[in-house]
Amino acid sequence: MKNFFRKVAFGLGPDEQIPSDPLNWAQSQITDQIPEFTFKGKIYPEKELRKHYNKYVYQDRKVLRKKFKNDKMGYKAAKNKVKADTGQKFWRNLEIAIRHKEAISGAHPVLAKLWYFWGNHFTISEKDFLANYSTGAYQRETIRANMNQTFEKLAYESTVAWAMIHHLDNAENVGPKSEDARAEWRKRKKRPATINENHARELLELHTVSPNSGYTQENITELAYIMTGWAPDDKYWKTKLETADVKFQRKYHEPGKKIFWGQNFPKGKKGLPAVIKFLSEHPSCREFIAYKLCRYLITDYPTKEMTDPIVNAWEKSGGYLPEVHKAAIEVAFRFNNEYSKFQNPENWWLQMSRMTDANWPPREEKFDSFLLGYGLDPYQAKPHKFMKDMGHHPYLSQQPNGYSDIAEDWMSPELIIRRLLYARQGYINLKPGNKNDEFFKGVVEKNFDNSDKIMSILNQNEKTIDKHILLFNLPEVLRA
Amino acid sequence: MRISRRGFLKGSLATLFLAGTGLPVYSSTKAKKNLVVIMLRGGMDALCAVPVVGDKNFEKRRKQLILDDTIKLNSDFSLHPVLDNFHDLWKESKGAIVHATNIPYTERSHFDGQNLMESGGKVPYKVKTGWLGRGMKVAGLRQEGLALALPMPLILRGVPQNNNYFPTKGKLPTDKVLSLLKDVYKERSEDELIGMLEIIKSRPKERSYAADDLYSLANEAGALLKKPDGPRVAVFEVGGFDTHAAQGGVHGTHSDCLKEMDLVFGTLKKRLKEEFDNTLIVTLTEFGRTIKQNSGLGTEHGYGSAIFMGGGLLKNNQVYTDWPGLKSKELFQGRDLNSTIDARSVYASAMSTVFDIDFKRVQKEVFWGDKLQNLSDKLFRT
Repeated sequence: MKNFFRKVAFGLGPDEQIPSDPLNWAQSQITDQIPEFTFKGKIYPEKELRKHYNKYVYQDRKVLRKKFKNDKMGYKAAKNKVKADTGQKFWRNLEIAIRHKEAISGAHPVLAKLWYFWGNHFTISEKDFLANYSTGAYQRETIRANMNQTFEKLAYESTVAWAMIHHLDNAENVGPKSEDARAEWRKRKKRPATINENHARELLELHTVSPNSGYTQENITELAYIMTGWAPDDKYWKTKLETADVKFQRKYHEPGKKIFWGQNFPKGKKGLPAVIKFLSEHPSCREFIAYKLCRYLITDYPTKEMTDPIVNAWEKSGGYLPEVHKAAIEVAFRFNNEYSKFQNPENWWLQMSRMTDANWPPREEKFDSFLLGYGLDPYQAKPHKFMKDMGHHPYLSQQPNGYSDIAEDWMSPELIIRRLLYARQGYINLKPGNKNDEFFKGVVEKNFDNSDKIMSILNQNEKTIDKHILLFNLPEVLRA
Repeated sequence: MRISRRGFLKGSLATLFLAGTGLPVYSSTKAKKNLVVIMLRGGMDALCAVPVVGDKNFEKRRKQLILDDTIKLNSDFSLHPVLDNFHDLWKESKGAIVHATNIPYTERSHFDGQNLMESGGKVPYKVKTGWLGRGMKVAGLRQEGLALALPMPLILRGVPQNNNYFPTKGKLPTDKVLSLLKDVYKERSEDELIGMLEIIKSRPKERSYAADDLYSLANEAGALLKKPDGPRVAVFEVGGFDTHAAQGGVHGTHSDCLKEMDLVFGTLKKRLKEEFDNTLIVTLTEFGRTIKQNSGLGTEHGYGSAIFMGGGLLKNNQVYTDWPGLKSKELFQGRDLNSTIDARSVYASAMSTVFDIDFKRVQKEVFWGDKLQNLSDKLFRT
């Protein structure tokens, strides 16, 4: 039963009591309110971070390239200065620290684990400088902040979020019959306006109904027409470039009647919310999300028995996420003893850190003391470095479908080497008073039903570091 | 367009004289032969990488993406100018291209497409092993696969105990800890983890910093493939081909990706030296891209693409194609270069050649008896 605390969260820390009612413990963390962040250092709004993004791209593109056009070394030095002045390597570390603090020290670890699920579902993959300035903040302000809303609201907010619009090229999605299509510069530069299908395709495939719903290429094209016009505000193009707030701009929108998947939709600004409502209410959407939630929490290949209660909760609540989450947790509880889920590297690392009350992430003061224009100290640089090396950086997935939730995708000699090496790192992160047998015994007894068996394995080693490495690579720890 | 569709089936006659004598590559002692697959993720634009020459249908749809200074391969096709290493191979008759080809998948989803290009199947996510892994299994090649990536790609799955290389720094646990872990894994029937521990135990205990860029990975792969007892199969990944915007011309995003691919060809050639003659490199992608550029100067998901091939096991330098043409009615669904050759025919023929197994066996045991062409004698030195 104790593995349930890791299945839906990150295990129990040394100072936590074992809950007498695990299901209630987990479900009570899902409320109508999104709690404040546990991280008590300074947290920056996404818009403020985007200003840094803007400063970097503007300086690089509009100033430095011209100024240093004949001075390669001068250009490099000036560019490095702008990188430092805009915190290009800092924000991603701060964001991971905020994220990890929720899992390790927060009072709502179940919500944190679900937050990571949605961040991965509405992935912003590695593109341009999104990971450096924006993805972490997007996951805070768009994903987490809407986890007490309906799926429809979350899907809409993530679709029109600046980071997503930039990520999936919707700024390039221009109606061929739009006002902008008739612009003189297009004729002059021989660049006729066309749709860009990228965002429309991923909205269908990855974010809502999935290919199982049976949409066609024609439907993708129809949706792309509806999505034309949603782009960074071009009024500020000269100064903000691609970083202006997203706004519906009629001049880029394809005029005329909108038909998508055999149904009429409003033209103009109302089209996108209407189509997201339609997609969110589509049976394939709830089935797809239910399957993914079960795959994330319970097993690689969920059964209908698992997904049905989640689908039912969705139908009853109109896709209200707290109800959907509670249903998923209940299913995870019901199937807890029958299935154990291989934990992805980040969740495994966070479980190790929470269960052992390790010094992770670096303290808030470390981040608050950062000064723009200066380099990072080793502590400030660790979150990005560790997650990248583990192959599971939450802002650097290689493709828009995010990271896999299938065990086999996390199995390779090199990935298992990372588990061995980072189990060692986990030991280094332990508080000095916790590097002893008594402490390990407490961790094991609190988090595992077969504690005697585990301790007998660990006790075959003399060194506590070896016990630590062994413990966090045992099958019952790799899985939950 | 001056070429007729069928005219290409025999390859380019202009270059056949470079093909050598056609004598068998191997003596009776049988040299170790290597197969390298480079996966090009995102949808490689074959019309950008290997543009067709003088086709008005192409030029009018790609006004801003037409490349300058392309390298002439023959009267009908040219090569993207950043592909220097590949061009060197071509000149030595160790580079060839199969054009207008793709896996039999037409739905244009990256993720379904990538799953199928690796599994070799027709229904996304249905097959849990890769065509290369299954081919290795048929050939009895255990512990001979190497992925130059952190995860084990699907394409190699299907045969146990493949290795991978993606360096990191740190100290591995003692043998005692590893042995204890192995005992526990055995007790719990964690077969996959046991296999990995076996591999890990043979690694150096202390790992110092090593670069993980493509050049360094190709360098390492070359060194390992060169060893007589080293791996016989290697898999690389190059991402970023999904250029919906700012695809660019000679210096655009797509070019950067092609350069990366080219770097792998060049580095392997340099590192493998004479063993390059016993090596075959093939590329793989999920689909090509639309012939028409969009207003963001990018291209959308398409269908037909191309396969780059390198190594001494090639028959000659040629653009092997059953060219479908680029008139509107010749395009797939009016928008994409069509695919006239099932790419799996190329991969099945490659495995048959490199692994020395009968094509029909590959066809039956790896690709479920699907209708594939044996192209071995057309493409490879058998």
